[in-house]
Amino acid sequence: MTARIAILLGILAVAVAVAIAAAPRTEGAEQRVARIAAELRCPVCQGLSVADSSSDTAREMRSVIQQRVAQGRGDDEIRAEFRRAYGDWILLSPPLLDPRGAVWLLPLVVIAAGALAVASRVGHPVSPTPTPEQLALLRRRASTEEAVE
Amino acid sequence: MSWADLGGGVLRAALPLAVWGAFASGYAARARDGRMLASARWSALGALGLVAAASLSMVGALLSHDFSIRYVALNNARETPAYFSAISLWASLEGSILLWTTVLAGAVAFVAWRGTRGLPRLASTALAVLFVMLSFFLVLVVTPAADPFVRIDPAPLNGRGPNPLLQDHWLMGLHPPLLYLGYVLFSIPFAYAVASLILGEGGDRWIVATRRSALVAWALLGVGIVAGAWWSYAVLGWGGYWAWDPVENAAIMPWLVATAYLHSVMVEEKRRMLRTWNIALVIGAFSLTILGTFLTRSGVVNSVHSFTQSAIGPLLLGYLTAVLAFSVGLLLWRAPRLADPGPVGTPLSREAVFLFQNVLFVAATLTVMLGTLYPLAVEAISGDQVSIGSPYFDRVEVPIGLALLFLMGVGPQLPWHGASRSTLERQFAAPVLAAAGGAILAVLIGLRGPAPVLGFALAAFVIATVVQEVQRGIRARRTLHGEASWAAFVNLFRRSGRRYGGYVVHVGIATMALAIVMSQAQAVQAEATLAPGGSMQVAGRTIVFERFRDVIEPRREQVVAELRVVDGSGSGPLAAALTYYPNATGAIGSPGIRSSAGDDVYVILAAYDARSRAWATIQVKVIPLVSWLWIGGAIVGLGAIIAALPTPKRREQLAPIAVGASSAAGAK
Repeated sequence: MTARIAILLGILAVAVAVAIAAAPRTEGAEQRVARIAAELRCPVCQGLSVADSSSDTAREMRSVIQQRVAQGRGDDEIRAEFRRAYGDWILLSPPLLDPRGAVWLLPLVVIAAGALAVASRVGHPVSPTPTPEQLALLRRRASTEEAVE
Repeated sequence: MSWADLGGGVLRAALPLAVWGAFASGYAARARDGRMLASARWSALGALGLVAAASLSMVGALLSHDFSIRYVALNNARETPAYFSAISLWASLEGSILLWTTVLAGAVAFVAWRGTRGLPRLASTALAVLFVMLSFFLVLVVTPAADPFVRIDPAPLNGRGPNPLLQDHWLMGLHPPLLYLGYVLFSIPFAYAVASLILGEGGDRWIVATRRSALVAWALLGVGIVAGAWWSYAVLGWGGYWAWDPVENAAIMPWLVATAYLHSVMVEEKRRMLRTWNIALVIGAFSLTILGTFLTRSGVVNSVHSFTQSAIGPLLLGYLTAVLAFSVGLLLWRAPRLADPGPVGTPLSREAVFLFQNVLFVAATLTVMLGTLYPLAVEAISGDQVSIGSPYFDRVEVPIGLALLFLMGVGPQLPWHGASRSTLERQFAAPVLAAAGGAILAVLIGLRGPAPVLGFALAAFVIATVVQEVQRGIRARRTLHGEASWAAFVNLFRRSGRRYGGYVVHVGIATMALAIVMSQAQAVQAEATLAPGGSMQVAGRTIVFERFRDVIEPRREQVVAELRVVDGSGSGPLAAALTYYPNATGAIGSPGIRSSAGDDVYVILAAYDARSRAWATIQVKVIPLVSWLWIGGAIVGLGAIIAALPTPKRREQLAPIAVGASSAAGAK
C-alpha cells in the first residue's frame, strides 16, 4: 500500500515538474534569433545550421535575422525571405503543412503499426503445461536438430 | 621490389584463396569432409596473411613517402608526421576499403579456426558465406576505381598531404578502425543466420554461437560512434558533437538495429519466440552496414566523410541488392520452419517490453533512413533540392529516445511471463521516487521544456533500477552463497556478466542522456572582438585574450590566440587557432577546450586582423557536462566487456526450451 502511494506521488511530482517546465514563456529577441537560425541551413557548410556554424556566411545570416527581429517581422516572414533567396533547400526540415511534410508521418505510422502488431500478441496468458501440439513440435525439432549435426 | 609490387601482388594472390575457401568450406559442410575443412581453414589463414601484408605494405609506403603510388601521393606529404602517415591508411577511399577487407579476412580466419570446433556443419556453411563476402571485397579492392596500389608516373617530388581535418587530432587513429571493426564483425552473425537458413535449422544455435561476436560488434560500433562524436567536437570547431550528418546516420542505423537484436535474442533464448524476427534484424543490421558504406563511399551524399566521387558506388549497390535479395529470399523460403510456438505473456512481462522496445528501435532506424535518403529521392525524382537536418531528427528521435529510456528502466524490473501487481508496486516505488527527484532537480537548475525534464527524470529512473537490481543480486548471493557484500558485488559481474554487464551499459546510456540534455539545453555562448589584453565575461568566467602567436611548421601554419580562463577556482591557459594547410583553400579552425567534470570552456578563433594582428574575434561556449558523454561511452564499453567475458569455470547453460520441456534438451 505504501508502495502504491509512493508511486502515485512520484508520478504526480514528475507531471508537475514537466508542467512547470512546459509553461509558455515570453521569448527574448536573442532566443528568437537563435531558434530561427537553428532551422536554417548554413549554405557554405556541410549540414550545419546557421546557429551552429561559425562561418562568415552564417554570421551574416544571423545578423540579418537579428535585424528582421528588431524590425518586428514575424517568423514566417523571415523564413520566407531566406526561402526566396536560396530555395526550399535552406530550410533544415520541411514544413509540416506541405506536400513534403509527409516525411513527418512515417515515424508515427511505423510506431502505430508496430505497437498494434505487438499488442495483438500480448495479453494472452501463457499455459503452464505444454499443449500436445507444442510437445509434438518440440519433439520434431529435437529430432531435426539431431539430424543436422 | 617496391611497395606497390608487393602490396598489389599479395592482394591479387588472396582472391584465389578466398574463392577456393568458399568452395572447400561449402563442400566440407555438405559432405562432412574433414580434409576439405582443414583446407578451408588454411586458405582463411593464408588470405588473412596476404591481405594483412598488403595493408602493411601500404603503411610502409606511407611511412616511407613512396609517391610513386597514387594513393600515397594524394594522401601524404614529406612533412606528414609518422603517426598521421600511418593512419592515412584510412584517410581516403582506397585505403579504407583495404582496411575493411583486412578486417573481414580476420573475421573469416576467426570463424575458420574458432567457430568450426563446436558446430562443424553450421560453422562451415557460415564460413562459406563469409568467404563469398571476402571474395567480393577482394574483387572490389583490385578494380581500378578502388585499387590502392595504382602507380603514378612520373612520381611527384612531394605528395598533396592528408585531408587537413584528418591530421589534426589523435582520435582519427581510433574512430575509423573501431567503426570498421564494428561494421565488419556484424558479418559473423549474418553469416551464421544465413547458414542456419540454408541448413533449414529451426533452432537458435546460430544465436548462441554468435552471441559474443554480435555483442563485440555492437560495442565496437557504439564506442566508435562516440569516438567520432568526440572527434567532431574536438576538431570541427562548432561546439557540437552530432549534426545528423549522413555518415553519422549511416553509422547509427546498424547500431540501433543491433541494439534491438541484442535484446530480442533474449526473448528467443528464453521463450523460443521471434525466430523470423531475429534473423530479419540481423539481415537488417548487416545490410545497413553496406548501405552506410555505399552512402559514404560513393559520393551520393555530401558530408565531412564523403571522399571524391567514385565508380565503386554501383558495385556496392549491386552487392547490397544481392545480399538483400539472397537473404530475404532465404528467410521467406524457410519462414514456415521458424514459426513461433506461442503467444507473448501479459503486457507487464519482460518479453512484451522487449517487443515494444524493438518497435521503437526499428521506428528510430527507419526515421533516420528516411531523413537521410529523402533529399536524395526528391532530387532524383523532381530535381529539387531539399534538406532534412537536425530540426527534423531532433523532433522525431528525442521522443523515441525518451520512450526507450523509460522501457530501459521498466524492462529489467519485469519478470518473464508477467508479474503480479503487488510485486510490481514494490519494485517500482524506489525508481519512481528517483524519477521524481530527477524531475525536480531539472526544474530547480532551470531546465525548460518537457523533453529535458523528462530526460532527467528517466535517467534517474534507469540508474535507480540498476542500483536496486544490484542490491537485490548482492542480497541473493549473500543468502545463497554466504558471500561478503563486496565479494557478492564482484561475483555478480563475474558470474552473471551478461545480465549485470547489461546493467552497466544501461548506466552508461543514462549518463550519456544526462550529458546530452545538459550540453544541449544549458550551453551558454558569447562572442567578442578583443584587442590583445582585452577580456570578456561568459557564465561567471573571465576570458582574457593575452596575445597572438604565429606558428610556422613545415606542414602547416597556425595563427594562435593565447587566452586565459579565470574563474572562482583559479585560472588556466587556453589557445584557439586557425590552421592553414598548403592543400586546403580555407583555414581550419582548431578550437581550444578546457574540460572539467562540471563543464567545458570551448573557445574558437572566429576571425582576426590579418594585417597588423590588432584584434581577434573570439567565440566562447560554456558547455555543461559534455565530457560525461565520452565517459558514458566508456561505461557502455566497460559494460559490454563485462557482458562478453567468459563466465569462470561453469559454462553458461542454455535455458530450457519454453515451457518445462527439459525432455527436449535431454533428447539432444
